[in-house]
Amino acid sequence: MEEFRFIDLKTHDAFTNMASDEAIMLTMKEGKAPPTLRLYRWKPSAVSIGIFQGMHDEVDVEFCKSKGIDFIRRITGGGAVYHDFTGEVTYSIIMPKEHPLALKDILESYKLLCGGIVRALSHLDIKNGEFKPINDVTVGEKKVSGNAMTRRHGCVLQHGTTLLDLDVNLMFSILKVPQEKISDKMISDVKERVTSIQEILNRHVFVDELRIALARGFSEALDIELVQGNLSTEEQQTAEKLVKEKYSTEAWNFSR
Amino acid sequence: MQEASYKIPGGKLVKVKLSVTSEKIDRVRVMGDFFLHPEETIQVIEESLIGCKEDENSIRIVIEQVLKNSEATLIGAAASDFSKTIMMAWKST
Repeated sequence: MEEFRFIDLKTHDAFTNMASDEAIMLTMKEGKAPPTLRLYRWKPSAVSIGIFQGMHDEVDVEFCKSKGIDFIRRITGGGAVYHDFTGEVTYSIIMPKEHPLALKDILESYKLLCGGIVRALSHLDIKNGEFKPINDVTVGEKKVSGNAMTRRHGCVLQHGTTLLDLDVNLMFSILKVPQEKISDKMISDVKERVTSIQEILNRHVFVDELRIALARGFSEALDIELVQGNLSTEEQQTAEKLVKEKYSTEAWNFSR
Repeated sequence: MQEASYKIPGGKLVKVKLSVTSEKIDRVRVMGDFFLHPEETIQVIEESLIGCKEDENSIRIVIEQVLKNSEATLIGAAASDFSKTIMMAWKST
């Protein structure tokens, strides 16, 4: 059974979260970090956009500033995601590109790694979760998890969000949708396309329940042994440097 | 800056911002929620399109050539979706 370092649920700001993922990759490239699964939350709550998206095109930056919501560009493609501190848990999985779980075919790779989410849902008594290509996990045709992958620094990184709770009105305020377009119709459309674990189970679900389910889900779906660990000093230093020089800068976040 | 968005049926969204001088592309940004590995290929595509004329076919071929030369994988969109959106932006004036 392959071993993965498991960095259990921690809370950081957006810049440290995204910098930590890349710092692990850079350290792994040097052969100084093991394959890793991380769970993390975002405080303050934040919106992340895909690497090819325009910040002002996707995000109401002024609204975010007024509410203390951070905004950040990811190194992965895909769409804009609102990471509510109490409404979701994010994971990242990072391994060298030669690792047996780093499949060459990208769609197959999404399917394999998203299997961890499907399995996690089953541990929460949601048995009908399924991988929906390209990069989603759905329950009854509604999206509950969005995922994004990159292959760089000699590694495969996939990170993704699983929704515990969903505030559609807040989401529409953060994401750039012209106010006049926010009709009841649009809100109901989103409610038909997106769901959350709490909505599915129709009860309060603690962050810890999802945390435990995700750890078990990835461990079982990927047949990996999770070994508790933390970022090394080198990884932390690299992350701090990346926060300062990349992820907190306007040059990066507003490059498109 | 001319703009257009194209939602690929059942897929991702492509958004183009285009600036045209003397009937040629002067600057173009291809944006959206698609995936492209390696990601830096997007800059190569955008640079290679500078000087292109208003012809969907030749724009698509330029994009396909860059993808091939960069050994890049585009997921959730195709070169033809990019060229189509560029044409939509071009005609948006």
